[in-house]
Parts: sequence; C-alpha cells; structure tokens
Amino acid sequence: MLMLNAKPTVKSTLKALLYLAPFLIITGTFTVWPLIHAFLMSTYTHYNYYTNKVSALGWGNFSTLWHDPNFHLACHNTFLLVVIVMPATVALSLLIALGLNRSRRVAGFFRAIYFLPFVTSTVAVGLVWNWLFRLDGGLVNHFLGLFGVKAIDWLNDPHYALAALMVVCVWQGLGVNIILFLAGLNNINQRYEVIATIDGANPWQRFTNVTWPLLMPITVLIVVNTSITNFKVFDQVYALFQGSAGPDNADLTLMYYLYQKFYMENQFTVAAASGVVLFLVVGVLTMLTVAYYQHRQHQLGGD
Amino acid sequence: MKRFFRLCLSLGALLLIGTLSACASQPSSTAHQRTTVTFWHGTSGASQQTLNQMIKDFNNSQSTYKVVGSSQGDFANVQQKITAAAKSHTLPTMAQTTYTNVPNYVRGGFVTPIDPYLSKQTLGKIDPSFQSATRYQGKTYALPFSKSIRVLYYNRDLLKKTNTKVPQTWSDVAKAGNRAKAQGLTGMAFDQSLSSELDSLAQATGTPLYQHHPKLTSPEITGATHVLYDMLQAKTATTAGTDGFGNVTFFKGKTLFYSGSSAALSIMQASTPKGLHWGTAPQPSYQGKHRPAIAGNDLVLFRSASKAQRKGAAAFMQFLLAKKQTLKWAKATGYLPLTTTALKSQNYQEYLKQHPLAKAAAQSLPDGFLDPTLVGYTQYQADVNQMLDQLSSGQTTPEKGLAKLQQQAKTDVSNQ
Repeated sequence: MLMLNAKPTVKSTLKALLYLAPFLIITGTFTVWPLIHAFLMSTYTHYNYYTNKVSALGWGNFSTLWHDPNFHLACHNTFLLVVIVMPATVALSLLIALGLNRSRRVAGFFRAIYFLPFVTSTVAVGLVWNWLFRLDGGLVNHFLGLFGVKAIDWLNDPHYALAALMVVCVWQGLGVNIILFLAGLNNINQRYEVIATIDGANPWQRFTNVTWPLLMPITVLIVVNTSITNFKVFDQVYALFQGSAGPDNADLTLMYYLYQKFYMENQFTVAAASGVVLFLVVGVLTMLTVAYYQHRQHQLGGD
Repeated sequence: MKRFFRLCLSLGALLLIGTLSACASQPSSTAHQRTTVTFWHGTSGASQQTLNQMIKDFNNSQSTYKVVGSSQGDFANVQQKITAAAKSHTLPTMAQTTYTNVPNYVRGGFVTPIDPYLSKQTLGKIDPSFQSATRYQGKTYALPFSKSIRVLYYNRDLLKKTNTKVPQTWSDVAKAGNRAKAQGLTGMAFDQSLSSELDSLAQATGTPLYQHHPKLTSPEITGATHVLYDMLQAKTATTAGTDGFGNVTFFKGKTLFYSGSSAALSIMQASTPKGLHWGTAPQPSYQGKHRPAIAGNDLVLFRSASKAQRKGAAAFMQFLLAKKQTLKWAKATGYLPLTTTALKSQNYQEYLKQHPLAKAAAQSLPDGFLDPTLVGYTQYQADVNQMLDQLSSGQTTPEKGLAKLQQQAKTDVSNQ
C-alpha cells in the first residue's frame, strides 16, 4: 500500500521500469522494431536484403503495388473475405451463443465442439476441409447431391475457391466468438429481461431492446477482432490449397501476397510495402469501427 | 527487495557464465575435437533415412569431421530458412537448395564457391548432364545432389484395353487422349504446375523458355504451349490442382498417362492401388526432339563457415560423389546417380535390369537439360507458373498469356 501512495522518484520509476522490462523488451523486439523496420524497408527501392545495404530511397515499391494486378486481386479478395466472413461469423456466433445460453445442460458439450476449431492446428483443419471439399467423394458434394446439386470442384474451380475459403474462415472463427458472446450474455443482469417480460415485451423485442444494446461493448470487440483476423488470412489458404493461392490465384489474400513476394519471389521491399498498406488499412478501419460504435453507444445513452 | 536483486544478480551471473562456456565450446579444429559440419536438408521419409545412414557412414569413415544433418521440412522450407538465416547470420555450413537460387545468394554475399575445397578431378566426375548447373560466373557453387528428370508413367491395363502403344511423341499422347475420351477415360494427368512440361517442349523447339531474353511470343513457344493447352481444352488431360501431383488422379485408374518427375517413382511404388499395373517410359518427343527437363536440388556451401568447416563439407561432398554412395542414394530414393562412372557401372546396369521402372529416367538423362542460372529466375518462374495456372483454368489463351509474360520477363530477367 505504501508503494501506491508514494510519490514517483527516479528510483521508483527505475524500479517500475525494471518490472516492466520483460514486457517492454519482448514487445519492442518482436513487435515495435519489426514494424519500424517494415516501414523503413518499404521505402528502400535499391536494397540488398542480406547485406542490409540501401542504395536508393523512394516510393517505388508503392507504385509497383499500385500497378500490380496481383496486388489489386489480393485487395479485392481480402475485402470480399472481410465483408462476407466478418458479418457471417458474428451473426452465427451470436445465434449459437443465444441458443447455448438458453439450454445450459447441453451447453458445455457444444461449447467444447465449437471451440475445437480454435485450438486445432490450421494445417490439420486445412487437410480435413480439403477432403470435405473434394470433387469425388467429398462430404460437401455428397450433401449437395442429396438436393440434386451437381458436384462442384470447390478447390480447383476459380469461381468457387474463394467461397470454400470463406466457409473455412467462418467455421474457424466461431469458437472464440461464441465464448466471447457467452461471456457478454452472462454479464447482462437477468433483472432487465424480467422487467421487460413484465412490461409485455415479446422475445424479439426483448432481444432488440435489452440484450443487443447491452451486448454492444463485446460486439465491438468481436467485430474489430474478426475483421483483423480476416484481413490477415494466410494459413487457411496455405493449408487448403497445398501451398498455392488457389486456382488462378482465386484465393490470393493480402497476407498471401506478402508471403509470395517475400519468400517465393525475393522481392523483400515490395513485400514490406504491402505489409504497410495492410497495416494502414486495418488501422484505419478499426478506428472507424470503434468510432462508429462509440457514437451509437452514445446515442443509445450508454457511457 | 534486496533478496530479489540478489537473486537477479546471481541468475544473471549464471547466464553469463553459461554463455561464455558455450562460446568456448564452439567447434574448433583442435587435435582431439572433430569439426562440426552443420547440414540443412529438405528430405523426408525414405530419402531422409538413407541420407541419415550416409551421414553416419561418413562420420564413421574418418575422425576429423562430424556432419550433423537436420531436416527443415520440405525443399521450400529449407529455402525459406536459408533466406531468414542469411539475414540473422545463423546459416549452417552447407544446405540443400536449388542451383537457380545461387545468383540471389551470390548477390547477398553469403555463399562461397566450392572449387577451392574440391579437386578438379572430383568435380570432373559429375555427369555432363548436371555440369552446367554447377557453375555461376565461372565458379562452382552448386553440387548436384537429389536430381530427377521428367518421365512418362503409363497405365498398362488401360493401354491394353484401349489398344494403345506407349506414345513416342506428344501428338501420339493427344491422339490416345481423344480415343480414351470416347471410352470415358482421360488421356493425361499433369502435376499442379505445367512448367516442367512447357520447359521440355520449348527446349525441343530450340527456343528455351528460360533464358536472358526469352522469345515467348515466337511461333515455337506458342506452338509448344498449345500442345498442353489444347489437351486441357479438349478435356483429354487434367491438372492435379490441390492434389499437387498428378499421380493421385493417375492411381484412380481412369487415366492413361501421368507426366511426372522420376523422383516420384519410389512414392508411387509404395502407394500403387491393388490391381493397377503401370510402367515408365521416356517423356514423349516434340518436333522430332526429346528434351526432358532435369530438376531437383543441389548442395551449397555458406561463407559464414570456418575454413575447417568448409573443408569438412567438401570432404562430405566428395564422399557423396563416390560411386558406392551415389549408387546407394540412387537405388534407395529413385534419384539419379550423379557421376558418369556410377551411371555406366555394371552395378547400376544390373540394377536397371532388375528394376525396369527406373530405366526410363536413366535412358532419358543424355537428352536431359537444365535451365540456365539466371538472375531473377525465381520471380520469372513465379510469373510462368501464374500464366500456366491461368491457362489450365481457361482464364487466358496461349497467345494472350505469353504476350503478358513477355512483358513481365523484361523486368524479371532481361533487365537484370
């Protein structure tokens, strides 16, 4: 207690820094420095990556991106992924969380089932989905066949390959979001709902007027988190398409583009530039989302 | 608090002592200590077991060096590890990689020529088919190691059923495909990437796909691309897609041929479904010429290695080139023997008689070719693959795809 009331001195500040040192060193080395380095590297136009010799600076890498049809494709695919997968994941996980919240007896079992994808290695997940999506004998086509739908070559037809990736991303995103929504639902005081029921609100009205507004803070977190996750989709693509970006680059995401440029084409500075673009896009969109929800919350009378 | 500081201090001291002693115990070439040669490779399964045995045999054969091999995953993983380790200055003594990476490594200044450590006589033993890829800017940087060549696999049962002979030319393949299609079968299964096939076809026309100034819109390369494109369009051929390799489709027993690497031989032998019989033949010829592409991985030596380590790596390379070892490697893995003496040896000829499936690769070798060592190769290769990917999914035509590739080639290789 003495410590809390003590006035900050040089000694106490140093002591505090010492306590913070492990965190600061790790974050500094593995997050802040690479970020700064990536920003710097994106401006090197003549650069020997191995010897670290920079011969020229400029915006050439960004202009390369601007003119690269593959980068446009990667942006297009990534935006589609975020725009479709994020709302789908949020809606589905909310629906499932509401269901689980109602029937507590089976909730534990289902919670485990939905959480499994989150803790399973993406490579294993990719392989299993690879089998599910197969043209011959795949479970997805078998199921669709029951409804008379002709078998689709999900993973080799450029028209369907992105849809296949979306399904995997939604499925994999459910687990953690359901848990978060369940936590949010548990935090809502039951009395609000009871009062609404007494006031004669039907279940839908109770949801829209009580549950949904009170879930707002956790929803913001989930929306932002899911968006960022889907902006950074890489390993699902890698595992699903055996180390390629799908047929005719149909599943080329921004992260995959970065990987391709860096490791497969040795264009290190262009890769860094694409990382910077990704960082800025994610940063701006996250801030916009948070600002919008704060505005909404203010409108709804929250604090 | 004091106690905590004291604890920190003693822990720090311990760590320091530990680090210092570790530094002191770094491999040095003292009389009693062996020099450690670290070796990163990308083999797995049977190849890895054979390689481990060979490393063990080398270590037992002398007392100066100790080779420590470690598998880094697959071949692509090793290359990624090298890229990362070159930056962090944690490269091993030697590694398995493709010779086409050598220009990048030389530019990065972290690879060193092998010539000072291996005699001309030893290097001269390497079969001429592999020689061209060993050198860059007049120095030897890459020693061939796990080498394979494109061959044709055929389904004996289906050939009998459709009354088809083993094709000698690509037009035989196309014709057989049309006949097969009429019976509900497919002619040819390709790998996910068609690049080796196009490479071979282009080479046969005398207009190589990989060169400093490729003539991609020439009638030769356009014609060569059409050979593959037309079969895919006619649905007499398929690409492996996410299966990666065409042998998966081939083993379903509804495809006459599979154009693949001879390195697939041992895996295919191990995974042949019951009741399916297959054989191998040299890749078909095009315009009267037979030029199958040689592929695979090589060994390189890194500059960060000490002189003693470099000498150790060279001794190990020399060991691998010995007739007994290269034959052992070839027989166990399906890769090609690396020296002319081994290829011509009675031992190997006897082996081929007993294992006729391995014959096609050995027969093809004199006609085989390797892409030249070009600056910008990896990037150009990525663009070639993308064009072929678009061709196989029907998103472009050979004419359009090659015209675009010609533009890309300018920045990829020509202006380098």
